[in-house]
Amino acid sequence: MSTLNIGGSELDASWFLLLSAVLFVLGAIGVLVRRNPLVILISIELMLNAANLALVTFSRQLQNIEGQLFALMSMTVAAAEAVVGLAILVDIFRVRDVEDVDDLSELKG
Amino acid sequence: MAIAVFVVAAAMAIIGGVGVVTFHQPIRSVLSLVVVMLALSVLFLLLSAQFVFAVQIIVYAGAVMVLFLFVITLLGPARELGPGRLRFQTWLSILFVLVLLGLMYALFQGIEYRHPDQTDLSFFGTVQSIAIGLFTTYLYPFELTSILLLVAAIGAMYLSRKRIDDI
Repeated sequence: MSTLNIGGSELDASWFLLLSAVLFVLGAIGVLVRRNPLVILISIELMLNAANLALVTFSRQLQNIEGQLFALMSMTVAAAEAVVGLAILVDIFRVRDVEDVDDLSELKG
Repeated sequence: MAIAVFVVAAAMAIIGGVGVVTFHQPIRSVLSLVVVMLALSVLFLLLSAQFVFAVQIIVYAGAVMVLFLFVITLLGPARELGPGRLRFQTWLSILFVLVLLGLMYALFQGIEYRHPDQTDLSFFGTVQSIAIGLFTTYLYPFELTSILLLVAAIGAMYLSRKRIDDI
């Protein structure tokens, strides 16, 4: 157990890590269960945010700035992923309405 | 005091995360995700990551979520879905994901933290310390992200162009 002294009170680093794990798992449920492709993209963003929380927590625990730098990089990657994913979705929706990602399985060979 | 802030922010984040998964309308999922991001930004501030806090609000909750909202309003409201063909898939995936959560929880129990590098917390996480890392040791990856963003921008423009045969 590692306690972080934040503003005079003691918080445990594992609380932050557990919250990060719960958010990651919620995002994973969203990706696996939901069928609207937009909601799947949103759930992926949720998972990336949970990973960012873990990175920043470890950065604070080790008092090493590299974790925060990695979190910034992953925000960049998340923005790029959202832009390309949404562009692909808009392109597909132009041809037809997709309410279930399983409707797009013709390319699986 | 910090414990109360943590509890409130964590509760907001979890409620927002459940909302992302359970709301039927995508626009409500996006707004729930904004709640999650604002709660996480408070936690970043607790972890003395001021610059990441600002970037989280400006770039994530601001720009990326507005992009999602634009696309959702462009595509129109989604219709309600009936039960899918693979109904057992829901329960199976929830089971697998809960096992994953249990594994991660078990991992945290045996964790041994390294002692922190002794640095000054008044300097830690400020714009200056981030910039020192970003422009000295990690200059090369930082420049590579600009190429990544350029590729993403070109890809988005290519995908959303007007095709000749559409006209």
